[in-house]
Amino acid sequence: MSTEQAMKQKPVVTWKGWLALLIMCCMFSGLFTGFEGALKPLNVLDFNTMVGSFGVDADGVNFQGKNGTGARDGFMFTITLVPGCIFAMGFLEVLTRMGCMEAAQVAFTPILKPILGIPGACGLAFINALNSSDIAAVLTKQLYDDGMITDDERSVFVAYQYAGSAPIGNMIGTQAALLPIINLAMGPMILLIIVCKIFGANLLRIYLKMTKKSRTAKEAK
Amino acid sequence: MSTAKTPAAAPAKKENFIDVFFAGARKGLGIGFNTIMPAMVMGYVLVQALKVSGIMDVLATVFAPVMGLFGLPGEAFAVLISAFFAKAAGAAAAANLYTAGVITAPQATILLMPCMLMGTLIGHYARIVLVSEANPKLTPIFFAIPLIDSAVGMIIVRIILTAMGLM
Repeated sequence: MSTEQAMKQKPVVTWKGWLALLIMCCMFSGLFTGFEGALKPLNVLDFNTMVGSFGVDADGVNFQGKNGTGARDGFMFTITLVPGCIFAMGFLEVLTRMGCMEAAQVAFTPILKPILGIPGACGLAFINALNSSDIAAVLTKQLYDDGMITDDERSVFVAYQYAGSAPIGNMIGTQAALLPIINLAMGPMILLIIVCKIFGANLLRIYLKMTKKSRTAKEAK
Repeated sequence: MSTAKTPAAAPAKKENFIDVFFAGARKGLGIGFNTIMPAMVMGYVLVQALKVSGIMDVLATVFAPVMGLFGLPGEAFAVLISAFFAKAAGAAAAANLYTAGVITAPQATILLMPCMLMGTLIGHYARIVLVSEANPKLTPIFFAIPLIDSAVGMIIVRIILTAMGLM
């Protein structure tokens, strides 16, 4: 199956794929945290609960210690982030193999036209763009080369991908330092970032629409 | 196994979930040490340099009015500078300011938005805008959009946190 075919074809989603998508939403939404009593086992569906915490000494400080500075403190701090990163990436790989991305593609493709003004064929690239910037960029170029999107549609799609690129992958991979501190769970934060990405892309969409006449006139000259 | 496989992911032999998990986890280990660690050290050294040289105090005074719009102290401008180079460096700078007591947890939450939305703009210009061969005439707009998104994102999070009674 070539990439071109993969983009046109509606992917087959098994029940495992939907289950994987559901699990992913639960784990990163932060909805399943802080349950007590009879509902306590539900905490197993929370990402942060599964990552757990480091042991602390009598002063409530973990092995990173207090009042460190500079490169050494940065080094020690990174060590505290690596376990969550290892677990998240391993878990995400399992969900991906279960068909999570295909389920997401089927779920999101119909909304691409209203939210970004791009055709459903961009579904595969859109889903890939959640996790990696490189594959999505290559797919976008291919969509244009195959005549499936116009130059303007590509510009809007690229503007969407460029700001806050790979929101899920980068949230886990780069924002690990802030995740234990922030007041909102990872899921809602990712959602907010996607909303802002869509907002920015639509600014360009409006701009391109407004200037379309003058641009075609210029090209005609 | 799932029937919906991408060509690249199609395994030659049947893999069990443990192998799949280990493969992903190894990627995570690589990301931790190869991507996050260098950016984190850079972020921490940058903050240290700004602090020791006294530039941080200057930044704090000069950018206080602008950052104030987003409910942040002037020092938070250092986070934006770091984020521009690398998303993880921005996050590191913000975490460092939080540990030092310069910003609060809600302010760190607000800062996560620009760390992502205007993060790694130079590096990703090549990897996304150039690779997709998007219209080069729009370059200034491609750069402006992440900055606008960041401003909007910070305001949205500030409003949400205020509504939650955290700010």
